[in-house]
Amino acid sequence: MSTIMEQMPIVVGALNVGFLQTLKLFFVTLIGALPLGLVIAFGSMTRFLPVRWLSRTLVWVIRGTPLMIQLLIIYYFPGLVLGNSIWGGGESGRFFAASVSFILNYACYFSEIYRGGIQSVPKGQQEAGLVLGMTKPQIFFKVTLLQMIKRIVPPISNEIITLVKDTSLARIIALQEIIWAGQAFLKGSQGISGAIWPLFFTAFYYLVFSGILTLLFGWLERKLDYFK
Amino acid sequence: MAILEVEHIEKHFGEIKVLNDISFSMEQGQALAIIGSSGSGKTTLLRCLNFLETPDRGKIIVGGETLFDADVQVAEKERDIRKKRLHFGMVFQSFNLFPQYTALQNVMLAGQLLAKERPDFKEKKKVIYEEIEERARMLLDDMGLLDRAGHYPHQLSGGQQQRVAIARALALKPDILCFDEPTSALDPELTGEVLRVIRGLADQKITMVIVTHEMAFARDVADQVIFMDDGVILEQGEARQVIENPRHERTKQFLSRYSEK
Amino acid sequence: MRKRTLSAALAAITALTMMTSATVWAEDSAESDLAYVQDKGTLVVGITDFEPMDYKDEDGEWIGFDADLAKAFGEKLGVEVEFIEIDWDNKILELDAKSIDCVWNGMTLTDEVTSSMECSNAYCNNAQVVVVKADAAEEYQTVESIADLSFAVEAGSAGEAEIEALGYDYTPVTAQSDALMEVAAGTSDAAVIDSLMAAAMVGEGTGYEDLTYTVSLNSEEYGVGFRKGSDLAEELNTFFVESYEDGTMQEIAETYGVQAALIEQN
Repeated sequence: MSTIMEQMPIVVGALNVGFLQTLKLFFVTLIGALPLGLVIAFGSMTRFLPVRWLSRTLVWVIRGTPLMIQLLIIYYFPGLVLGNSIWGGGESGRFFAASVSFILNYACYFSEIYRGGIQSVPKGQQEAGLVLGMTKPQIFFKVTLLQMIKRIVPPISNEIITLVKDTSLARIIALQEIIWAGQAFLKGSQGISGAIWPLFFTAFYYLVFSGILTLLFGWLERKLDYFK
Repeated sequence: MAILEVEHIEKHFGEIKVLNDISFSMEQGQALAIIGSSGSGKTTLLRCLNFLETPDRGKIIVGGETLFDADVQVAEKERDIRKKRLHFGMVFQSFNLFPQYTALQNVMLAGQLLAKERPDFKEKKKVIYEEIEERARMLLDDMGLLDRAGHYPHQLSGGQQQRVAIARALALKPDILCFDEPTSALDPELTGEVLRVIRGLADQKITMVIVTHEMAFARDVADQVIFMDDGVILEQGEARQVIENPRHERTKQFLSRYSEK
Repeated sequence: MRKRTLSAALAAITALTMMTSATVWAEDSAESDLAYVQDKGTLVVGITDFEPMDYKDEDGEWIGFDADLAKAFGEKLGVEVEFIEIDWDNKILELDAKSIDCVWNGMTLTDEVTSSMECSNAYCNNAQVVVVKADAAEEYQTVESIADLSFAVEAGSAGEAEIEALGYDYTPVTAQSDALMEVAAGTSDAAVIDSLMAAAMVGEGTGYEDLTYTVSLNSEEYGVGFRKGSDLAEELNTFFVESYEDGTMQEIAETYGVQAALIEQN
């Protein structure tokens, strides 16, 4: 049996490839879900009832069901019902389907945080903007937005650190992220089988990455500390 | 000619009639004080003038131009309402300064945003911004706050914040400056500095509508006083006369509660 | 716990699918799967990393007895062969959703498999063996002797079917490798896995040196699975006969050391 030191380079190489997939899914989700969440938040607050009803139902359904089921449904359902998978069986198709599921799921969670953030900005701020002749978009971008961001940084950072670990759920549709890569050595891959430590070693990657994020959010919070 | 004419304003919130047949007018350079107990409709009236509420009936005329007429209700574009709002400035009870901007930035922000709509903005951006900043500094100087220009609202006392808010409202040169109980949120020892500033504005002949609970201040600074009760104007007239010799029984009752203090 | 969530998820999606797509499926199976695959020009083969059947060489190329045979089959059909790693739990779902075209990965032909897939003829022999700690192996050489052990078996595997039939106490886990880990960690006394896998994964020179395998519970056979009603299964049977007759199948089997398990094709 080869020693851990001999296995190390092979395992780290494979875990790096898996982690790259994890990171890709993480960033694509953020890039998609952060703005989409804002759209859904406005949808949930609009006075136009059909849109508000639609947005709130979406948020209810997505937050009320496990992400794992959403992944399974979004990836497999088109093929099962339409008779032809719209995603394709390849790696890019699986990644695309996972991205859609994660963006939708996280946008709904973000939207509720945004909604809380917007509603917690005192109404007087908006009125002060109005009487100074500002337009609604000007009030949102120049007055409300930063105050809202300051308020939502703690809950959003919490959600984003959860996302780091949630990416591992994508393995249910065989997206080969880092847990998959670690588990492969347990099942047997590249001449290493029955090795448990690579799977545990993946925790180290998550820990380092969420550590970096924690520092980043701490910095952002301090940056926004100049006003109250 | 009257700078402001308010005719037969009426406002309901659901079943409740908050304003009923409110009419008054005032001349350029005058200060008008509105007094009355809480819930009498003073604040709602002020909010109607600033288009934060839409009256159900009546007219608002500024300098001869009808800004609002409930009988000619047309779906107004946001842009038009914004223009009309600029005839009025508003100072809120709770200041409502923008916390993420310094005192100076609070005073400049609206002017900078409006300047972007000027056709010559692109060529003259630098000059325009310099003018805006110069005016903002001058206003803060008038308020005795030039040395606080770079401070954020939370670094200022309540009285200082309210003075910044007054400078901010003056920055856009409104025809009429409205105050909604400007000293109610302040500690007693801080009300003086704000009242002194408003008194100074009265001396400069700035047209003002002031909702206040400071009776002595209203008597000394205002030209006219309106006493409101339960959504109607019960008594109006020359300030000293209304406050020292009220004719109406309700006014007497109301004022006696203040003189007891 | 995770296992239960997954089962619930699969049950839900299956139920949903049956409600909405029963009619669509009926139409689908009427069409030729062979024509569908040739039309798109690729045969997508669902696999797991499973030495010596499907695994990666140093260049990252999929090789193995199953992989090489699949490539030869693809050549005959005139299509590209694409290997996709899947979650073994989802193999039927993957087939029905058309994200893969066949499962070719040392798959034991159980009743469950043959009833939910269109399967080829058997091409390889296998057995389910009991894995225990090496130092206790002598006590557990008969089916009767293992009756009081606690077992870990892969859910839905042939091993689970055997141990269930015997009425022995067991814990279902997600993979055969997890079953081995249970034994190594001492959380279960024994595991039931494929003999081909046991040969590769336990004993001297493997990751589980202190484990060994003892009793064979059954003998069974490997086959290739296609979508229900697919004409590709018959096509593959013809190919098996041809390649057995001209010796290619034996040649590939020898490359990976599985020639002894090969089943004659005619």
